[in-house]
Amino acid sequence: MTEARPAAPDLLAEVATLLRERVLPTLDGELRFQVLVACTVLAQVQRELTLGPEQQAAERARLVELLGHEGELDDLNRELAKKIREGAALDEARLLAHLRATADAALAINNPKWMADR
Amino acid sequence: MSDDSEIAAKLSAALNAEVRDLARLTGGATRPTWAFEAELDGGWQKLILQLSVERDPLPGERTGALPRVTGANDAAIQQAAAKAGVPVPPLVLVLGEQHGRGAGTVAHFVAGETLGRRIVRDPPPDLAAACGTALARIHAIDPAPLGFLQPFDAARQLAVYRDVFDSYAHPHPVAEYAFRWVGEHLPADDRRAVVHGDFRNGNMIVDRNGIAAVLDWEIAQLGDPMQDLGWLCVRTWRFGGAGPVGGFGTYDELFAAYEAESGRSVNVERVRFWEAFGCLKWAVMCMMKGQRVRFGAEQTLEAAAIGRRMDEPLWDFLSLVERRAASVPPHVD
Repeated sequence: MTEARPAAPDLLAEVATLLRERVLPTLDGELRFQVLVACTVLAQVQRELTLGPEQQAAERARLVELLGHEGELDDLNRELAKKIREGAALDEARLLAHLRATADAALAINNPKWMADR
Repeated sequence: MSDDSEIAAKLSAALNAEVRDLARLTGGATRPTWAFEAELDGGWQKLILQLSVERDPLPGERTGALPRVTGANDAAIQQAAAKAGVPVPPLVLVLGEQHGRGAGTVAHFVAGETLGRRIVRDPPPDLAAACGTALARIHAIDPAPLGFLQPFDAARQLAVYRDVFDSYAHPHPVAEYAFRWVGEHLPADDRRAVVHGDFRNGNMIVDRNGIAAVLDWEIAQLGDPMQDLGWLCVRTWRFGGAGPVGGFGTYDELFAAYEAESGRSVNVERVRFWEAFGCLKWAVMCMMKGQRVRFGAEQTLEAAAIGRRMDEPLWDFLSLVERRAASVPPHVD
């Protein structure tokens, strides 16, 4: 599908490139650190826009499987959190597999390197 | 009058000395820190001012149960540590609330590196062993004269972090699983010692000879001494470095030095418990930072970025639990 206007992730990528290639080399100290943080945040938002929808669909599908009924993502998460807290009987292996997939997905957006560095 | 010149004037009055070159360093919103020089004993001395600022809680936010050691108590614990052979910055002055701006301390500047990322790139030899020795000495401090230290065992900590987490009403199955696991693995509260509470890479000044000073005694408490060893090994505090201890050493180096200095054996299971619990605590702290941005109480980009880091320690937590399940037979667990 083609868009008439530049897509949001592409805009963020352009801003990040500008900061990295043109702004960062002119800075040092505290401000350089802050701009590096800004670049990190831009990359997170970019990945969230790109990966988020698919991740949420997959998370919801796993929750439906685990809990045995349909529902909205937020409601299903609330239900699972409550079940874990109350010590409800859950298949431990399947639960852990779901939590691992959820934790991986969050890091795929927020810091993919964290998984590679291990 | 600018903020800094007001502080310089107050310092000058408190020290009864000329003050120059006051410059704000890091330290975040609750531990603002300045470097400056003062004319003491006939010469210009490099000094450090650190204040403890009480932050206002968010509406509905519950943070009050975390112990905090400030002002004269902060000075007392550091003096006790120095007597026990733990390097700390030599104290010059304690600032009480009457100096306006909250309690604080003035100490001599100690040369060295505090940034974790830089320390792991080129650590001095035997730094993990130096940590083991320092921790053994901290845990040997006599708590009797330090009546302000609060007992803070694992069960109490779990309740406090649970309460903070609940106050944000954010359903998070991974965090929820971590809370349940910690609750199911609580160690018995059978040995209480003086615990630093935040002993990690980033909270010490390091030079070529090892630890030049142990900093940030603000959450010192009475608790399980294994807590300090586990917290030092939380992956976040390795700053990308190779060794599991602070990013610069091995468990064996840390444990051997601790046992040699203390004459007590390290309970490895407990250290691992505190490392796992440490991941959960750091995740909740990241969440607190992020929520403060969300509600407009803190405006820095850095705080927002820390809020996004909560998934890192939770991911580490799952790794620790998975590895434990794979290696520890159920009847010993």
